[in-house]
Amino acid sequence: MLIPVSWLKEYVEIRLPLKDLMWKMTEAGLTCESAKKAGEEVIMDVEVTANRPDWMSILGVAREIAAIQGNKIKEPRIKALPAQTANFPIDLVPDYRLFERWTGIVLKGVEIKPSPDWLKARITSMGHTPINNIIDITNYVMYELGIPMHAFDYDEIYGQVMNLQLSGGGEKFTSVDGIDYLLPKNAMIIKDSERIIDLAGIKGGFNSGIKETAKNIFLHVTIDNPVYVRRTSLAMGLRSDASAVYERGPDKGSTVRSLTRAVKLILELGGGEIASKMIDLKEKNYEPKKLLLGFDKLEKILGVKIPDTETVRILSSLNLSPKAVKHGVMCVIPTYRGDLKIEEDLAEEVARLYGYNKFPAELPKGRVSDQKIPYYSDDGLILTVKNLLTSCGYSEAKNLSLVSKDLIEKFGLTPAKHFRIENPVSSEYEYMRTSLIPGLVSAVKINSADNLKLFEVDKVYLKTAKGADEKYKAAGIYTGSAFRDFKTAIDLILSKLNIDGYSVEFEADKPYLHASNAGVIKSGGTAIGEFGEISPVVLSSLEIPGKVYCFEMDIDSLDSLSKLKSFSPIPANPAQVEDLTLTFPPKTKIGEVLKLIINNSKLIINAELKDTYKDSYTVRIWYQDPGKTLTNEETEKLRKSVLQAVNQRFGGFLKN
Amino acid sequence: MQEELINLRNEAIAQISGSKDSGELEELRAAYLGRNGKFTLLVKKIKDVPADQRKAFGITLNESKNAIENLISDKKHALIKSLSEKRDWFDLTMPGLKPSLGHLHPLTQVMTEVNKIFNYLGYQVADGPEIESDYYNFEALNIPKDHPSRDTQMTFYVDSTGTDLKPLETILRTQTSAMQGRVMKLGKPPFRVLVPGKCFRYEQVDASHGFEFWQVEGFVVDEDIHLTDLFGTIKYVLGELFGKETKIRFATTNFPFVEPGVDTYMQCTICKGKGCSFCKGTGWSEIMPAGMIHPNVLKTAGIDTKKWNGFAFAIGLSRIVNLRYQIKDLRTLTTPDMRILSQF
Repeated sequence: MLIPVSWLKEYVEIRLPLKDLMWKMTEAGLTCESAKKAGEEVIMDVEVTANRPDWMSILGVAREIAAIQGNKIKEPRIKALPAQTANFPIDLVPDYRLFERWTGIVLKGVEIKPSPDWLKARITSMGHTPINNIIDITNYVMYELGIPMHAFDYDEIYGQVMNLQLSGGGEKFTSVDGIDYLLPKNAMIIKDSERIIDLAGIKGGFNSGIKETAKNIFLHVTIDNPVYVRRTSLAMGLRSDASAVYERGPDKGSTVRSLTRAVKLILELGGGEIASKMIDLKEKNYEPKKLLLGFDKLEKILGVKIPDTETVRILSSLNLSPKAVKHGVMCVIPTYRGDLKIEEDLAEEVARLYGYNKFPAELPKGRVSDQKIPYYSDDGLILTVKNLLTSCGYSEAKNLSLVSKDLIEKFGLTPAKHFRIENPVSSEYEYMRTSLIPGLVSAVKINSADNLKLFEVDKVYLKTAKGADEKYKAAGIYTGSAFRDFKTAIDLILSKLNIDGYSVEFEADKPYLHASNAGVIKSGGTAIGEFGEISPVVLSSLEIPGKVYCFEMDIDSLDSLSKLKSFSPIPANPAQVEDLTLTFPPKTKIGEVLKLIINNSKLIINAELKDTYKDSYTVRIWYQDPGKTLTNEETEKLRKSVLQAVNQRFGGFLKN
Repeated sequence: MQEELINLRNEAIAQISGSKDSGELEELRAAYLGRNGKFTLLVKKIKDVPADQRKAFGITLNESKNAIENLISDKKHALIKSLSEKRDWFDLTMPGLKPSLGHLHPLTQVMTEVNKIFNYLGYQVADGPEIESDYYNFEALNIPKDHPSRDTQMTFYVDSTGTDLKPLETILRTQTSAMQGRVMKLGKPPFRVLVPGKCFRYEQVDASHGFEFWQVEGFVVDEDIHLTDLFGTIKYVLGELFGKETKIRFATTNFPFVEPGVDTYMQCTICKGKGCSFCKGTGWSEIMPAGMIHPNVLKTAGIDTKKWNGFAFAIGLSRIVNLRYQIKDLRTLTTPDMRILSQF
C-alpha cells in the first residue's frame, strides 16, 4: 500500500523525522521499509498484514501514526447530504451471505469530466491513472477511508434491478477496462434484468461502467464476503485494490459514511442531484463491541508490569475508550478494528505501542520435561554417518527433493510410484524423489573433478497405499576407478556402527544399477541398502562418461542394527602375525574367503586383505591365544587348517 | 692383576670418551660392565689375587667400575646435549600432506550448531512429515481455508491418486510450525520443542527465491511463559549464533497462530547496517518471526489455556547460512558443485 505523505498530513501532523517514523511504524506492526520521492511528494510503501483492513487506507495509517506520536488526528469533515430531489427506482436484491452490507444511492444529472488537478495528483500518487471525476472519486474515497465502492451508469442497469448471486461458471464477462473473462463457478456477480454488470469485489462490468456519456449514476459501498472474493480472485488470477481490502474484511460500520463522503465530492466536482433515498441493506446493526483487558492477564502475557496509567494512555490513543473496571479496563472496539477479538489482541496493542524494544529479555523459568516428546528424533546416528563419510573423502550435497519425470525415467524408475505435485513450478520439479541416487549422479555433470566423492543424507518419499512413507537414506557416488577405495565408506560405516559382519547379495533389483556389478548389503537377514556400478545405459542417457559407483543405505536399518561396542582388555600375550599370498580360481568372492579364515578358529582374531595382484591375494592373519603365547608349532597347525579350508571351499592355494 | 685393572680402566675411558653416539655407549657399557663384561670377569678373578693385596684390588676395582659408570652417563648427557644444539638446515616451510577429507554441507554445520544451542536450553528435537495435511499445516494453526495470510505461503498440492490420502488436503508443508499441532495433540505439556526441517512454497526459482528451504521451528508451552521470555530466548540464540554484539530489534507483526506477534530483525551481517543489496538497503535482515502461541492453537490441540501458554518462533535456516557465509544466491546451497562444497 502506497502512502503519500502530503495526503497523510491532511489528517495528522507528522512530528517524527521520516526515518524514525518509518521504524516506529515498523515496530508497531505497520512495516514500512522504503519511501521514495516523486517530485514534491514523498511516498511511503507499507506492508499491511492480513489482520488490518483499516491500514489499507490513508486515514487508518494516519490514526496509527497519531497513536505512535501521541497526537490527535483530524477526521475528514463529512457533512450531511442535501435533500433528495427525485426518485429514480432501483431494486437491490440482497443475499447477506454474499454482501453483509449493501449501501447505495442514485444521483442524477452528473457531469462526467476529467478530475481537477489535486484529485488527479492523488490518484497518480497512488500509482493509478486518473480516468474521470466519478471513477477517480470512488478510488479516492476507497484510499482515504478504506472501503471499496463502485459507480454504475444508472441507465445501463436494465430493469433498474440488481440481483446479487453466484455465477454458475462459464459465463462471459467483460470488465470495465475492456478485458473479456470466462467466469469461474461461485464468483459473486450482480445481474440486471438481462446481463452481468459487476464482478463483485473484483472488477466492475464494461456495460455499466461510467463513460463520458453517463448522466445518472448508481453508487454503492458493499461489504463483500472475503471468502468468495478470495476464491474468485485466485481462480481468475485477478487481484485488485478492492479484492485486497475485501480479503481482509473491511469496516462494516461505516459504509454510510464512505458513501456520503463520495456523494459530497461528486456533487462538488460533477454537479447533479440526489435521486433516491440512501438504501442500506444489512442483516444487523454493526456497533462497537466491548472487550475486557485484565491487568493481571496483561502482565502474565507480557512478563512485565506496565503501569496501569500507561496502559490506559495507550488504549486511549488507539481510540479504544478504556474505562476502569475492577482489576482492568473495559474497551470499546470501533467497527474498523475487527481484528481485536480476545484479551491477547488487546495485550498486543499495549505491548506494540509501549515498544517491543523496551521490554527486558529473560529466559523461561519453566521446567524441562523428563518425558520424550512425540516425534522425538535424535540425529546422532545421521551425524555419525555424515562424519564417517567426510572422513572417507566424501563431500555432502543437498539436492532438491523434487525431480523431473525425465530424470525418474532415465533411471528406469516408474513415475507412477512417485508422489506427483499437482501444481509444480515447472516440469523439472514435479515428482518427490524415491532415491537420493539420481540427484547425486546428475551432480557428476556439473563437477569436473575426476575422482568425485559426493554423498547426501536426507529423506526420500515412498508412495504407499496408506500414504507417504518418508525415510532417511544415506547415499554416495564415486567416479574414481578404484573399487576398494569406493568400498571403504560402506565398510567403515558398518564397522563403526558395530553392525555384525554384513553380506553382499549379488543382483540388486534397482533398474539403475549394473546387471552384475551391483548388489544388496545385508546383515542378519535385513537388507540395509544397495551398492555398485550405475548402469551404463543410465550414464549414457545423462551423457556421463566413465564409471560411477554408488551406494544407498537405509538409516532406520543402520539404526536398528547398530550396537554398542563392548571393550576387550588388551591381551596379555602378543599375536602372531603373518601374510599369506593365496591364489584362487576366477570369480572367487574374496570377502567370503576372509570370513572363512576368521571363522576357522577362535585363535584367529582377524584377517585382512593386504594386497592383490592378478589372481593372487595377500591376506594378513592374526593368530592369538588369550591365555598364552602361541608356539610356532601351534601357529603352523592353524595355518594348515586355514589353507585346507580355503582349498576345500574355494580351490585356493598358497603361492610359492 | 692390579696393572691389568689399570690398563683396562684406561682402555675403557679412552673408548668411552671417543664414542660417537648413545648406541655405541650402550655397547661399551655391555662390554665393560655387562654380565660378561671385562670388569665383571675381573670380579670373578678376585680369588686369584694374593690375600694381602686383595682388599686394595677390590677397592680399586669398585672405584674403577663407578668411574666408568659415571663416565658413560656423563658422556651420554653430553651427546644428547650436542645433538640438540646441532644446527642443520631443515625446511620448516615444507607443506603437510593433504588428507583426503570431505566437507560437511553448511546447512548440516549450522543445523548442528542450532540444535546444540537449543539442547542447552532444554529443547528436544522432533522430526515430522514433509508431506503434510492442510489441517496441521494451516487449520490447526488458526489459518482457516481462504485466509489471506495463505497468500504468503503458496502451497504445493500432492496428487493423492493411489493412496488413502485426501485429495486437496495433502500438501508439502510450507512451515515446520505444522509440527506444533502434531506434538501438542499427542504429548503433554510442558513442552520445549525444536523442529528443524525442509519446507516448500510455490515460488518461481531465482537468486532470491527458492521453492524448497530449511527452517527451524521452536516452541515452548508451560504454566508461566511471557513475551519477555520470547525476547530473551531470541536474543540468546542469535547471540550464540552470530556473537553477543550482534544488534537485534523487534517489531510487531501478524501471523494467525500467534498473539502478540513478533518479527525479529538482525543488523545485516554483510554491510554491518550500512545498507546493501542483501538487506535491500535497509541495514537490517528479517530473520526470526515469532510470537506468543494464539490461544486458538492451544485449544485446537486440546491444551487448557487457563493453565498453559507458550511462545513459538521460526528460524530461516537457509537464511542464517546465507548471512553467516555471505552467500547471495539462494541456489548456492542446493548446487552440489565441489567448487562450492569444498569451501565449507
